[in-house]
Amino acid sequence: MSNKPHEHKPAPMVDEVSDFEALEIAVRELAIEKGLFSAEDHRRWTEYVHSLGPLPAARLVAKAWLDPDYKKLAVTDGVKASLAVGVDWINSPPTGFGTPSDYCNLRVLEDTPKLKHVVVCTLCSCYPRPILGQSPEWYRTPNYRRRLVRWPRQVLAEFGLQLPPDVEIRVADSNQKTRYMVLPVRPAGTEGWTEDQLAAIVTRDCLIGVAMPKPGVTTNIKRPVHPAVHPIHHDH
Amino acid sequence: MATSDENAHGSADGGGPRTDLKLVALLETIKRRGRVWEDLAAQYGVTNPDPPWKVALDATCDLLAGDSLVLPTARVVPGSCALPGVQRRAEEDDLSATIYADVPFPERQLLALAHSMIKHGLLDEEELARRVKLVHERLNSA
Repeated sequence: MSNKPHEHKPAPMVDEVSDFEALEIAVRELAIEKGLFSAEDHRRWTEYVHSLGPLPAARLVAKAWLDPDYKKLAVTDGVKASLAVGVDWINSPPTGFGTPSDYCNLRVLEDTPKLKHVVVCTLCSCYPRPILGQSPEWYRTPNYRRRLVRWPRQVLAEFGLQLPPDVEIRVADSNQKTRYMVLPVRPAGTEGWTEDQLAAIVTRDCLIGVAMPKPGVTTNIKRPVHPAVHPIHHDH
Repeated sequence: MATSDENAHGSADGGGPRTDLKLVALLETIKRRGRVWEDLAAQYGVTNPDPPWKVALDATCDLLAGDSLVLPTARVVPGSCALPGVQRRAEEDDLSATIYADVPFPERQLLALAHSMIKHGLLDEEELARRVKLVHERLNSA
């Protein structure tokens, strides 16, 4: 390491205040001043959300692939199995300050070569945040939510997941109490891999069910977002 | 799995129009003038997919929703939280498909939240406009 000060190049940063940034702060400050929530609760929640991501869920899958007993636990009691990857659904924030938005029943859906699960929230965007982090934009869109339950094979194909006709697809609809994640089939070519190696290929998309793990693939695809063109009051 | 009494949501397509889509002048100005994250990130060479304020926005949404996020919709007592989660998301869907359709995410989520809060009387538009101006002045005072 060099002793010369300021030799390193600083990471790039946005050097201007956008109207959107100012709006977010203004909304939050006024909500606090009006007593809609406290500044302390907001700080704690923000810290909690910052700590979330898909890694615990990826690790749960990797562990399950390596340990048959753990796999049994995962598919029978997802909340208990989550403890092994550092996620405590019942006692972790935000339950500590009265907003238990993610206290729920986690169900781990095990894929087989002839059965593929995929997760949605048809009404809004319920998502297993404690173990998977924040949902991607496309997961929130009415287009995905409405079409997946009607034409899952078609939607999965748009994600690049072309399933043979003899593979059954089951769509799991999340709700306030029950969240889902997918335990995909361990792919060929991963024999002898460590838990870390395996976890690296279990991407967020694999955990939602719109992709399948593959050696060498460690990122999610960037998916274009489409509007839902049929008004919601239409009878489909 | 996608059924039953566990799913307290009901039908996603039911209910018909439910959102006040009348434009809010302040938010129209921000929509027109505001620089979105994808443009700022590209200009400054920043790789974060989301703006730093996104996490704070999510926290605000969740805290306004309180226990409504875990109760079946029918059991949410009116007035028990500032803005029930399902209602906010439904309005966000409507606003995202209409007056904020051209705004990228998560700026669209932010505009929709502010819009809903104004329409439900949780925020006053003029007061919010004054605060936005004040925040700008504060953040640019260094």
